[in-house]
Amino acid sequence: MTWSLNEIEALSRKAARGAGLSWGLAEEAGKAARWLVAQGLPGPQVLADLLTRNDGTTYETLCPHDEDEGRWTARGGTLCPLISGAALCDHASRLAAGEALHLGRTASPMLLLPYLDAAARIAGRSVTVSWEGVSVTCGAADGIPDGMTDALSTTMVDAVAILPGELCDTETPSPTARADIPEATARQLDAFAQRTYAPETETSRLAGAGAGLTDND
Amino acid sequence: MHQPDTQPVAPRHPDVVMRLDRLGSFHQSRLSFMRILLRRLQSEGWRFECALFDIDARGVGRAVYTAHGPERSYSLVAFANDLPPEKRSDRVIATEWDATFTLFDGVPETADLDRLQANVPRQEAGRVSEKELSLSRANRSVRLWDHVVDSLASGHQPDPARVAEVGYLMRTTAVYGSGKFGAADREQIAHRPECQAPFQIEMLSVYLTRAFVMDLVEHMARMRAPETAVPLDPDLRRRFGIGNSTGLGMAPFLVTHPALLNNWIATREEALARIRSLPHASAGEAQTLRRFAIRAQLHAADWHSDHPVQIAKLEALRADMASLLAHLATADLQADQPWNRLWLWAEGALTLEGQELLASLLLEPYPRLVDPLACCMAADEAATWRIDGAMSTARLRALVQEIYGWALAIDWTDPDAQARVWYTSEAKLEPRLGERFDEPIEPYEQPLCPGRDAARLWSDLSEATEDSVAGFLMRHPQHRHIVRRAQIAARLPYAEIRDNTIDATMMPIDMLRLKLSFFGACHFDPRSDRWLRINMYQHAPFPHELGDRSGDDWAYPFLAVAAE
Repeated sequence: MTWSLNEIEALSRKAARGAGLSWGLAEEAGKAARWLVAQGLPGPQVLADLLTRNDGTTYETLCPHDEDEGRWTARGGTLCPLISGAALCDHASRLAAGEALHLGRTASPMLLLPYLDAAARIAGRSVTVSWEGVSVTCGAADGIPDGMTDALSTTMVDAVAILPGELCDTETPSPTARADIPEATARQLDAFAQRTYAPETETSRLAGAGAGLTDND
Repeated sequence: MHQPDTQPVAPRHPDVVMRLDRLGSFHQSRLSFMRILLRRLQSEGWRFECALFDIDARGVGRAVYTAHGPERSYSLVAFANDLPPEKRSDRVIATEWDATFTLFDGVPETADLDRLQANVPRQEAGRVSEKELSLSRANRSVRLWDHVVDSLASGHQPDPARVAEVGYLMRTTAVYGSGKFGAADREQIAHRPECQAPFQIEMLSVYLTRAFVMDLVEHMARMRAPETAVPLDPDLRRRFGIGNSTGLGMAPFLVTHPALLNNWIATREEALARIRSLPHASAGEAQTLRRFAIRAQLHAADWHSDHPVQIAKLEALRADMASLLAHLATADLQADQPWNRLWLWAEGALTLEGQELLASLLLEPYPRLVDPLACCMAADEAATWRIDGAMSTARLRALVQEIYGWALAIDWTDPDAQARVWYTSEAKLEPRLGERFDEPIEPYEQPLCPGRDAARLWSDLSEATEDSVAGFLMRHPQHRHIVRRAQIAARLPYAEIRDNTIDATMMPIDMLRLKLSFFGACHFDPRSDRWLRINMYQHAPFPHELGDRSGDDWAYPFLAVAAE
């Protein structure tokens, strides 16, 4: 059974919200999982794994805290890529101006890619992101090369470098239109998503939707 | 020497247009998605066929209706059911329906039909694929259905008064599109010319559903009494639209798609402004407007509702139509920016229902000015979605004041100002509206109250030490959602409903009507403050009549020849 990209985005957004991210960050997490799937990468799996590991950890612990000469680190030691990714995208003008940005210890860095792709679009130049043994250019016309899934799926890296590259205004190709999600991943994401749903009560069932009328007329 | 004033008229300000009471008074127009669709089907000479109609005497079976366009074909696959009355519910929580449908991308094989038969009748509990573009269901209007089958079976036509009273034989409820329950994403088909305008797939699905329902009712009469049964008279047949029963589920869409909402409203406002700006009108154009106004009066007379709010609005609308027709009888509709003068008169003389009906009517004489604007109604939502972190916090403050000034003027400590909570229920993920101070639902609140969120943003912005939005959001991640909205609305002025969507007195039906009016629905009939019935495609030609009858001019009742 394959999922539509809209289903993947919606489930990922709700899961991120259920895991405690603000609505704005959760919206971007949904788009991030969708973008990765469109590149043929296991976005939902990496997201489910990250949310599980970070479950119960506060924003203050996970967000970029100190910036020292363009290097961001988290108060809790490990940056969340969903928060850092959004912040990097917000700082796209620095990349546009040719400034390099660096992250300290970061979880699931694959999740940075969709944000950096958006940052590249805003900055009008490609952005190369690298960590130990991996280097990927976002915003380049040829997209993410095949065969990098394993290298990109690392759960933790000590440092990430983000370097602005050539001027470009190309759209990253999105070769994949649908995807299969492993059942275990779907269950994990759904468990987080469930936290956003209000428990059923008889009052809410009758009053909340405003109907409860017969349709026999 | 007297110079006529021919200054162009600017589109109306969003503070005027984007209020819920006005949005909840919108009517269908030339820019409605149903009319865009039928104009295309007619101009491109689409061909229709019923490739399969295999339904037994109990009304159980399946049927396929295919529409062949210049490049592609689309097929409505229908499954008919013999539903016991106790199972007939229009709530999302229903599990069985009189009929269920999917719009198939192309022409289905038998294997596709078998796969769909195992899934489509189950609706949300089933699963469709990238070959399917929509998923929907409908229930009979029992009171009219039985009357029509009885009448036709015994060899005579149904009572036109009873037909007029209900207006349709089946009511659809949810019509799911874009990627729902496994269907193809809109992105997969958005590049096709026939899918460019919003909701064309859903509108085609509903159009073919109407054709199927009318064939089905005649079929049921024939099966019951083959010797005596007669088909519906073609003129009476066109008086049947297809109903729809819509609840809260539709309302959040308008808030979660700000760029799209902007483009719908901006297109209509641009059309209205262009027409108000015309320095003069021809005698023919003036006559067209007068004739449409008479037809709109008939429409208002045929429109029934039992809901007290709508009853009052209908009384006002009928009085508005009387005033409008009296004014049109003597007004000069040709010289000195005639439509702008008419509009300014209407602002002082008509209620919101009447004003917004006039806005729709003014588009009727000008297909060449209005219809090409239809291509502006889709939206590239990605283009405005990313936050501009380089924006200064001072600029963001100015934007918040400009866009959400109405919200900053609200006293949010007043319990009535945030009496409601939009939330999603655990059961079937149904969107609901609850009472914040009576129910334990606040932790589940959905971000569907931009006014309140903007006021909270304003408060933190007032104390912000950061110069840039990027720095501010790093410290205030809870404002990320509303900052995005503010930046979208800064570029797209009609992106935001400028009214309190969680106020104690808020009427969700206003939001539903806004959306449904752009679909082209009419006869809005609220069943509560958050539940609405409508009619679609009433008076429209059936697929086999397109070409002989206009695919464009059908949205108002026709005048008897003598009245023309």
